[in-house]
Amino acid sequence: MGDKAADASTAYKLSCTLNGKETEMETAPARKLLSILRDDLELTGTKRSCEIGRCGACMVLIDGKAVNSCLTMAYQCEGKSIDTVEGVSAGGIDPIQQAFLEEGGFQCGYCTPGMIISVKALLDGNPEPNDDEIAEALSGNICRCTGYGGIWRAVRLAAERRRQPS
Amino acid sequence: MLLNREGSGSRWRIRPDGPSKVTGQLSYLTDMTAEGMLYGLVLRSEHPHARILSIDTDAAKQASGVRAVLTYLDVPGLNAFGIAHPDQPVLCEDRVRYVGDAVATVAAETLEEAEYALMLIKVEYEPLPVLDDAEAALAPEAVKLHEKGNLLHHAGYSKGDLAEGFAGCVHVVEETYYTPRQMHTYMETEGGLFVPGEDGRLTVYAPTQHGFMDRMQLSRILDLPQQQIRIVSSPIGGSFGGKDELNVQPYGALLALRTGLPVKFHNSRWESVRAGLKRHPMKITMKTGTNAEGKLIAHQVRIIADTGPYSTLGAEVLNFAVEHVIGPYVYEHLDINGYSAFTNNGMSGEFRGFGGNQAIFALEGQLDRLAELHGMDSWSFRKLNMRRTGDTGPFNQPIAQTDGAEQVWSVVAGSELWKEKDKEQTSNQPPWIKTGVGAAFVMHGAGLGVGIPDPAGGRLQLAKDGKIEAVFGYEEFGQGLIASLELMLIEQFGFAASDLRIVIGDTDIVPDSGSTTASRATAMMWKSLERMRVPFEEAIIARATVAAGLAVDQLQLGEGGVRRKGSEELIISYEQLAQLEGEPVKSETSFHFPTSSVDRIGAHFMYTYSAVAVKIELNTLTGRVNVLKQLHAVAAGPVVNPQGFLGQIEGGSSMALGFTLTEDAVMDKGYYMTRNLDTYLVPTIADQRGDVEVVAIEQLPEGDTYGPRGIGEVGSVTLAPAIASAIRAASGKWVTKLPVQPSFLQEQPAFLQKAVD
Repeated sequence: MGDKAADASTAYKLSCTLNGKETEMETAPARKLLSILRDDLELTGTKRSCEIGRCGACMVLIDGKAVNSCLTMAYQCEGKSIDTVEGVSAGGIDPIQQAFLEEGGFQCGYCTPGMIISVKALLDGNPEPNDDEIAEALSGNICRCTGYGGIWRAVRLAAERRRQPS
Repeated sequence: MLLNREGSGSRWRIRPDGPSKVTGQLSYLTDMTAEGMLYGLVLRSEHPHARILSIDTDAAKQASGVRAVLTYLDVPGLNAFGIAHPDQPVLCEDRVRYVGDAVATVAAETLEEAEYALMLIKVEYEPLPVLDDAEAALAPEAVKLHEKGNLLHHAGYSKGDLAEGFAGCVHVVEETYYTPRQMHTYMETEGGLFVPGEDGRLTVYAPTQHGFMDRMQLSRILDLPQQQIRIVSSPIGGSFGGKDELNVQPYGALLALRTGLPVKFHNSRWESVRAGLKRHPMKITMKTGTNAEGKLIAHQVRIIADTGPYSTLGAEVLNFAVEHVIGPYVYEHLDINGYSAFTNNGMSGEFRGFGGNQAIFALEGQLDRLAELHGMDSWSFRKLNMRRTGDTGPFNQPIAQTDGAEQVWSVVAGSELWKEKDKEQTSNQPPWIKTGVGAAFVMHGAGLGVGIPDPAGGRLQLAKDGKIEAVFGYEEFGQGLIASLELMLIEQFGFAASDLRIVIGDTDIVPDSGSTTASRATAMMWKSLERMRVPFEEAIIARATVAAGLAVDQLQLGEGGVRRKGSEELIISYEQLAQLEGEPVKSETSFHFPTSSVDRIGAHFMYTYSAVAVKIELNTLTGRVNVLKQLHAVAAGPVVNPQGFLGQIEGGSSMALGFTLTEDAVMDKGYYMTRNLDTYLVPTIADQRGDVEVVAIEQLPEGDTYGPRGIGEVGSVTLAPAIASAIRAASGKWVTKLPVQPSFLQEQPAFLQKAVD
């Protein structure tokens, strides 16, 4: 849902880096990043689902950390580097995405962009996560279809491939 | 066969819809926008039960950006919907019966303006007594929610003489089981885009599990011929039964036709919780008795289902539950009575497992209790009472025979996991950690059953651009239907994936293949392809023989085109073939889902058999259960798509884990207490750390013509009783109520007792 109070407030110019490009846009300081991405910029790979930071479908990378864009307001993005799933995919299928494809780490696919973002944040910071660290890093991303079996396999495969580049 | 990537070889494939899903490029129907579109919202009832005294929309209509405010007065056709029995008002006129009931709908230029307009609509209500309990709703003095009363449906089945049966029993177990109001929790909430055409037609881009059913229902509501409505309904971000019934479609359609502009809907999570379907909460009382040898003699069951305010498929769910409380066992005397009651709680309806989940939890609980009274191993006790190959189904109806029961039973019986049952609890654990092993068993029906229209079919055609088009009226909501269809076409016809174009989910193009529900779509695609294979091959080869001057028996279908038999030499490509003159190359089939010859509505003919064993760890300090290992044995005929099969069982069992341990959409006096995913707890990856092994038994009896059985639901129905059985082994406690409350399993540790003493 949009936030009427936020949208009606005085105009503000947000400067940030979005998917590697320096970006400036007029918006309301309290407008949700999720709305900016989906509704204003038509970057619909970032998904809307619970809007209270519980499901992770809307996750993006902010300065490399996985963040719920439904809980992030425009002013909090000032000067930051934001990467969405579109940015992660810009150079073709990322090795993490390839692992999800091969292992069946998705079904309906609606949670998948957020899940990929969380896995990327995890592996970028910790190339050899153990199961406790994987569970901790991904427990904010709900998948209702897979039962997480394919996701476990995909994350382990992606981590393994990063260690042994082919 | 242990199902995994390694053992599946080249049959383990990347899904055709995969790349667009993992990159975020796939446009879901709720991602769509259109130039100049409006935003739609629905004003829903403030009360679980009230009389509407007045609705004043004047202020809302005059608000900035508002383009339409509609009430019941603006519904041109039937102001009601419901797949089986249309009794749910599109827009309520004089009464609301639950907190999701729609009173008005608004379209405005921005979402904020639509939200503001909802606040300006004044509805005067006179609250009425709230029926928040299904049994109370059936009492004679209860206020009537519908003209015919509060009983949506009674379903019964009996044989023999129950009193005589119990008189001869050595052991009798009587227990009442309770199951929760589980929410589907598809990650994509309901929504879509509604686009009016200049020709007066309406295009609906909104998820559903049966496009033609939506088209028929919208036609009734809009008073518009069905041909004037096009339903585009895939891809879908999860459904699990929850998007089978209409949800936002009537409002989007009405607003688009009224304003002449595209209208977008996308429910917030709270809107989805409030208005959407849930699994029927059931109270199931069972009295079951055995003779001295441990044979089941008499079984009496009473089911009370809380169906909420309107019908949807509540009656059909109850029929399914009645069938599955009898299940895979043989009895001499039966008396089953199920009652589905209207209440002012949330809507209950279709949900993966379809009444089986509740029934099987209760029935398997009885089996465990009786085995214990006999001092028998619970698995041997099941074997003693199980239906054998050649036996009839639960309603004594003829069924498609398989050896599935015996096969899945044997997998668990011989498993390492089951052997752990008799091992002493390991002593290197702290004293408050207990482990236990349990197992359960099921035969689960597929298809809609006797007496319900259950069409199937599809079409194959050579398109003008040379693609082989497979056209089916089924939906892709994540289960992997497109991937399964692609693999069948490759394996059965010899096509390459690049030769194919799969067309689904668009009523302007596809035939009515029936619903994508009831574990039926893959089986029906398989059967359709089997029926079309010979005529379609013949049509292609006939055209090729003319072009190539070769005899029919020298040619065969292959990758890229028609090839010479033996040498595989490419004779003519499908693209070249498509450019030749001639009769259209096309094959079409339509038939009915196989049904039993019995005269009993809803009785099934095709069954999938499954047995599940689990090992759990119980922390008696916290009362939390952790499932360490799961073994699922599934007998469903040939594995059409190994990745899809594994995903259905793993995913179904995760849904069952939530049903067993954490999920409940809690209501109080008709109001939802759990409004979002902060209080409604579905399993996360941290809850799913145990091993899940899936063993698929593919063998079917010689001469079986039905092929693969459904596997979409069976993974979700058997885990709960297996966990309950393991909890008994770990703690000595019998679970009767789901989700299992940690407080029920907590124990005061011995060292604390000492400190107090």
